[in-house]
Amino acid sequence: MGSKIISIGYGNVKKVELGATLPLVFFGGPCAIETKDHALFMADAIGEICQNLNVPWVYKSCYDKDCRSAPDSFHGTGIDEGLKILANVRDEFGIPVMSDFSDASWAAATGEVCDMVQVPAYLCRQTSILRAAAETGRPVHLKKGQYMSPWNMKNSVRKLEAYGCDSIILADRGTFLGYSMLVNDMTSFPIMQKTGYPVCFDATHSIQLPTSMGNISGGQREFIPYLVRAAAGCGINALFMEVHDNPKAALSDANTVLDLKYLENVLHQAKIVHETRLELLDKFGEGNVHPE
Amino acid sequence: MFIRNKNVGDVMLDLGRFPVVTEDIILKEALEKMDKFRLGVACVVSSNNQLLGIITDGDIRRKLLTMQKPLVAFFIDDAINQSIKTPVIVTSSMGLIDAIEIMENQQVWDLPVVDNGELVGLLHLHSATKALLLG
Repeated sequence: MGSKIISIGYGNVKKVELGATLPLVFFGGPCAIETKDHALFMADAIGEICQNLNVPWVYKSCYDKDCRSAPDSFHGTGIDEGLKILANVRDEFGIPVMSDFSDASWAAATGEVCDMVQVPAYLCRQTSILRAAAETGRPVHLKKGQYMSPWNMKNSVRKLEAYGCDSIILADRGTFLGYSMLVNDMTSFPIMQKTGYPVCFDATHSIQLPTSMGNISGGQREFIPYLVRAAAGCGINALFMEVHDNPKAALSDANTVLDLKYLENVLHQAKIVHETRLELLDKFGEGNVHPE
Repeated sequence: MFIRNKNVGDVMLDLGRFPVVTEDIILKEALEKMDKFRLGVACVVSSNNQLLGIITDGDIRRKLLTMQKPLVAFFIDDAINQSIKTPVIVTSSMGLIDAIEIMENQQVWDLPVVDNGELVGLLHLHSATKALLLG
């Protein structure tokens, strides 16, 4: 299915393009920025894997985790320190970086450093957040709220467009907020692609069991490869996974992040399924079985 | 003027008197516009007013009866996706009697009036019959 081509990266970083039939792109990194050294270590390790697999990628890590279940959970480095670290990653490795922002007043600073800004799933309908994201002038990674149908994401897309943004990537991270369980509807990808924009699958948040452990969220990491293969087969343009070298010690989302040692395995599978799907499309076409 | 001398352009509804929507409009908005004008048709046009398709009450009714998706997903679909892409059209210089014959043959109430690819009006059955009655 056709979609716009989105270009991520300004200045001297290696630009990443995704959409239509371009190669699968990876968005990844630790859920939260922990320290500068850890961020640089992770960028180096993930970069090596992506280089081996020839997968274009964007480093993702957040400076403020405003949706933690408990008040004493790690909240993040804060915007000033976090953006400095992201700028370090960018300069050191020449790769595009991304962070989300949970407060409209943080958007401008986030967009000044980051090559792409992310709208958190919880906030995907908030006009003030969408407006602030659009006004950064950067591509926007728009997560589908766990409470949103894929077709209703069009309303959020229209808000972004109304404020001047025409570089959008829509992501699914599971549905059914509030019952400590998420379900992935794979039809969400072709439905969201109907907006004309590329789509992304957030694998590590999809296996989350929100607040299933009382004051923290659990997760079923063993299902990551299953869901990744399914999503790649359904036409995603990008794959999002939070990765950590020591998940048990991760300061955020310890129960859902992918262990770094499995990244190459999962990413390789995603790439193969993505390429196989394109071959099948060439051979059989798409949208010609029970077309609307 | 005798009826046989009248053209479509003499009795058509001019732009602004019937629903016209752009291709980026969702179906819900197109239906609201049809409701506002109290007409069962909306014309979908490009930015330079080229006719891309039409939406009619009847087509929507038939789709509702056969649709296999939630109503909200239907509402939010682009209006152009739910339109008839090759509607029967007439030109403003066509004789009114000929246009009414087309309405009869095709069993339609409305005919978009298109000159050189550009939408210029809508011939509605009511205004056509009114012209007939007034001779």
